[in-house]
Amino acid sequence: MFSRCSLRTLLGAGALSRRRSATDGTAAYRRHGDATERRWACALGVAALRGYSAAPADSSCWKCRRPLEGVPAFFCSVCEVVQPPDDAASYFQILGCDRAFTLDTQKLQQKYLQLQRKLHPDNFSRKSAEEQEYSEHHSALLNRAYRTLLKPLSRGLYMLELEGVAIEDGTDSGADPELLMELMDVNEALDEAQTSEEADGIGRNTKARLTELTEQIDAALRQGELGAAKALLVQMKYFANIEDKVKEKLSELL
Amino acid sequence: MAGALAKRCVTPLVLVNRRISAPEFRAQCGYHEKVVQHYENPRNVGSLDKKARNVGTGLVGAPACGDVMKLQIMVDDEGKIMDARFKTFGCGSAIASSSLATEWMKGKSIDDALLIRNTDIAKELHLPPVKLHCSMLAEDAIKAALADYRLKQQDDQQEAIVATN
Repeated sequence: MFSRCSLRTLLGAGALSRRRSATDGTAAYRRHGDATERRWACALGVAALRGYSAAPADSSCWKCRRPLEGVPAFFCSVCEVVQPPDDAASYFQILGCDRAFTLDTQKLQQKYLQLQRKLHPDNFSRKSAEEQEYSEHHSALLNRAYRTLLKPLSRGLYMLELEGVAIEDGTDSGADPELLMELMDVNEALDEAQTSEEADGIGRNTKARLTELTEQIDAALRQGELGAAKALLVQMKYFANIEDKVKEKLSELL
Repeated sequence: MAGALAKRCVTPLVLVNRRISAPEFRAQCGYHEKVVQHYENPRNVGSLDKKARNVGTGLVGAPACGDVMKLQIMVDDEGKIMDARFKTFGCGSAIASSSLATEWMKGKSIDDALLIRNTDIAKELHLPPVKLHCSMLAEDAIKAALADYRLKQQDDQQEAIVATN
């Protein structure tokens, strides 16, 4: 949201259209934020819809025009000025992780903090407005990327998204009735629990179930079985909700 | 307030999360008054005997948000729905949608109940676009319950035919 708000104001003011129009007549500005990436062409150049695997076309520094290195390139290697976020980069690339379901969350956190130290707006308070803007976008993007990759559920769903698979918004017509009955039973049992021990017991079972699902999802994603991964992630969603309800119940019972 | 309320009420109301009071809930979540009414006073929460011949059970889930909904109907000999119960684990809009569905179904014939649309539910509850899928879930639950009842009647009829032969 943060980056969108800022970009929108800039677009409104026409500031973006004035820049980068000199050499090749194209000024392409990107709004990052959704799974679907869109490039905003402000001048003559027309951009195509871009996937996550494409390398950035504008891989030159906006200030010194030298080629940029790395995906994503946060800073220019020559003049060291901060660059706008690269829309083609996935959250995995941004945080320097392998695109895999198994993730070392401690390493993830370290990388996240390292990058925030370099890119946070606090470091750019004396820089140009443009650099401050880029820094804000980077920081918001880093937060989003970190939050998404931190938890198995959001990480798995994101991986599916990268492959173009999404979970529909409606009822699951192909749902397993036994699963739904089990979910009903667990939810009801949790609701009717009178003691913290009971709620705790349900919490433990749910946690065990989630661990099992995590392993299964990992296997499915490794083998590229997207359909199976999707079904398992749906199950994980249901049980993650139950886990949240266990926490609420436990605090109620205190 | 939440705890006191929960203890005063019977099981049905325990279904909903009572940690915050109604005015806070309204302010925080931006739910419409009608949704809050169903949330605070859900009608027809409970279960019917799913093994009973005149009971139809619909069990549906929404994968995107992880909501689960169970809707049951009890039909009399003339094909009229004399009782309807629900149990929903999910957001306020989902609870309200299923609560409203059971209210509307009572007293209707099977065919009339089939005419209940998610758009009617959404309109009545003033659901915002992001919550329209909750009303859809309720409609699917209604259809599932009615289908289950019909299937049971067919099975009964077949059994009767076999018995007479």
